[in-house]
Amino acid sequence: MSTDSGRRRALKIALPILATVAIVAPLAWPWHASRLPGSYSVMDMGYLDYGGGAAPDPGGGAHGGHMQGHVHGHASEPARMITDLVADPAPPADVRVDLVTRQQTLTAGGRSISGFTVNGTSPGPEIRATQGQLIEVHLRNESVRDGVTLHWHGIDVPNAMDGVAGVTQDAVPAGGEFIYRFVADQVGSFWYHSHQVSNPQVAGGLLGSLVVTPQSGIAQQIDVSAIAHTYGGLRTINGKAEDLRVPAQPGDWARVRVANTDNGPMKVWTNGTYRLLAVDGTEVHRPTEVSDRSVTLTAGARADLEVQAPSDGTAVRVQLSKSTAVILGPAGADADAPVPPQPTADLDLLAYGSPTPLGFDPAQATRQFDYLIGRRPGFVKGRPGMWWSINSHLFPNVPMYVVREGDVVVMHIENRSGEVHPMHLHGHHVVVLARTGVPASGSPWWVDSLNVLPGETYDIGFVANNPGIWMDHCHNLKHAAQGMIAHLMYEGFDTPYRIAGPADNQPE
Amino acid sequence: MRTAHKIMRIAYKVLAYLVAAEVAVQAMVMVWAIAGLGRWIDGGGVFDKAAMESAWTPFPEAAGITAHINNGFFVIPALALLLLIVSFFTKLRGAIKWAGLVFALVIVQVMLGILGHQLTLGGALHGLNALALFGTAIYAGRRLRPAVALAVEEESARAATPV
Repeated sequence: MSTDSGRRRALKIALPILATVAIVAPLAWPWHASRLPGSYSVMDMGYLDYGGGAAPDPGGGAHGGHMQGHVHGHASEPARMITDLVADPAPPADVRVDLVTRQQTLTAGGRSISGFTVNGTSPGPEIRATQGQLIEVHLRNESVRDGVTLHWHGIDVPNAMDGVAGVTQDAVPAGGEFIYRFVADQVGSFWYHSHQVSNPQVAGGLLGSLVVTPQSGIAQQIDVSAIAHTYGGLRTINGKAEDLRVPAQPGDWARVRVANTDNGPMKVWTNGTYRLLAVDGTEVHRPTEVSDRSVTLTAGARADLEVQAPSDGTAVRVQLSKSTAVILGPAGADADAPVPPQPTADLDLLAYGSPTPLGFDPAQATRQFDYLIGRRPGFVKGRPGMWWSINSHLFPNVPMYVVREGDVVVMHIENRSGEVHPMHLHGHHVVVLARTGVPASGSPWWVDSLNVLPGETYDIGFVANNPGIWMDHCHNLKHAAQGMIAHLMYEGFDTPYRIAGPADNQPE
Repeated sequence: MRTAHKIMRIAYKVLAYLVAAEVAVQAMVMVWAIAGLGRWIDGGGVFDKAAMESAWTPFPEAAGITAHINNGFFVIPALALLLLIVSFFTKLRGAIKWAGLVFALVIVQVMLGILGHQLTLGGALHGLNALALFGTAIYAGRRLRPAVALAVEEESARAATPV
């Protein structure tokens, strides 16, 4: 009897403790597993996803898995280093630019903000080239303490020129230099920005515009860039907290190159009609006239709008959100014209313009990937929180998408995280095949930065034609810093660079 | 042993009331933020994603949104988890059940909060579920009024007497 009651007593004490352990213990492993080594290669991140395509020969170095060891692809051949993936070193540069980066105080709109400059200003100087020219940028980091890199957002440069610290190069320390060389073979509006500690550095203004024009020139009389950026809450165009006034004669046509360098989507609209000539640098096929519709530029995206200065001598306004505008017209015309009301509907790029061949057949895809964005409790870098997940996994245990050169790739993106995400794949342009099940019916909608709203799904396609190791991440750089980073790797390539390490590489 | 139970019961009560108080705080900071937003817009101000994502807040009440997120994602789930753990040690009938219900409603609340950004009806249910959570947490705390606690304690003492 007494032993029986003793057992019951023991059980009474043990049960609650066991229940507590049952709740707390399962948290210990994910916490432990989420801690990162002092330095690591992105090649060791997460798990390999072959997208239903051929896996490399077994028996070799293709292990993958969470921080377990390198994967190179073909076990039989040694991996090629991405450092070989450069532009032809022989020809001299057609466009040579010297860029000096500094950490300093910016003044705009009567306020002082601690930030970054390129050649003394933010944004830095606009780089202009004509199609086919070889651009050579000599970067010298004068005083940015965390180091810098330059990433050519939207230009599909050779991998070693992509400017991602810890993946394609080491961060350039204060006093250091780096030379970027690439051929401007894509026409369009692009931008450059640091990809070292990019969340604060881009927000702090380490960025600039890059425009590649066709050899035949453009059809419009006026060609103007409008870089929208928010410095500590202060809305600016080209670094000034005011509207951008562009002199234009009545009847003049203008190409307005709008870039959104902030962390969230921005709406653009006009007080008259416009045509959307290009999206993320790629020309729209047969763009039609648009009225009463806004264009959404996601974080990192660009849009080229064609507008005409009215013949009656008034001005045309291109609104970059409600806050700022590009105003084109004769001096003094309508400078204080009211802000045109924001359209309640967006221009649907899924059905804008006319179809034209893509140049590849998505139905013949050799790799099919999922990029499912969620949000769940867990640990990232040892810290508990509600974190962004990719295919239900948290950083760094996220998929490593593996392709071979020449693969036709389709990817299914789905956002169930309750917040918008601007998805940016480096080194490639992707074409939207369908949105939430509705197939694309307009001009091929090529993007490098895609606005994925909560509840939306996108099916995108591209050809794996630019070997290397490429980030595929959220361009809300705060989210990237919270672990919304995966990579696309080409089988058989490896990188000598490491995250953290002696160069203290922190790409996000 | 009895002192340990007493401490756990006090902890249970305090945690349950804390969850309820936090739900009230959540409602308050959200309406405070929306009131601030309304006044900001009335004055011709713009509040969009770029403003929301920047470090600077255009109107002070925007801090209510940050508070709501931090409370909802971290503080309240942590309190509910602690309440559930403490409930194992109170030796009171129903304590685990009510703490479990509070925890479950917190999970549902977080999920509805996320869903609301996609399906706005989820936001409406988030408001309704907040009331259910508030009521349940208050009830869980009130179940431990001294009289109830005493009665249950006597009962459990009788049950534990060796035969």
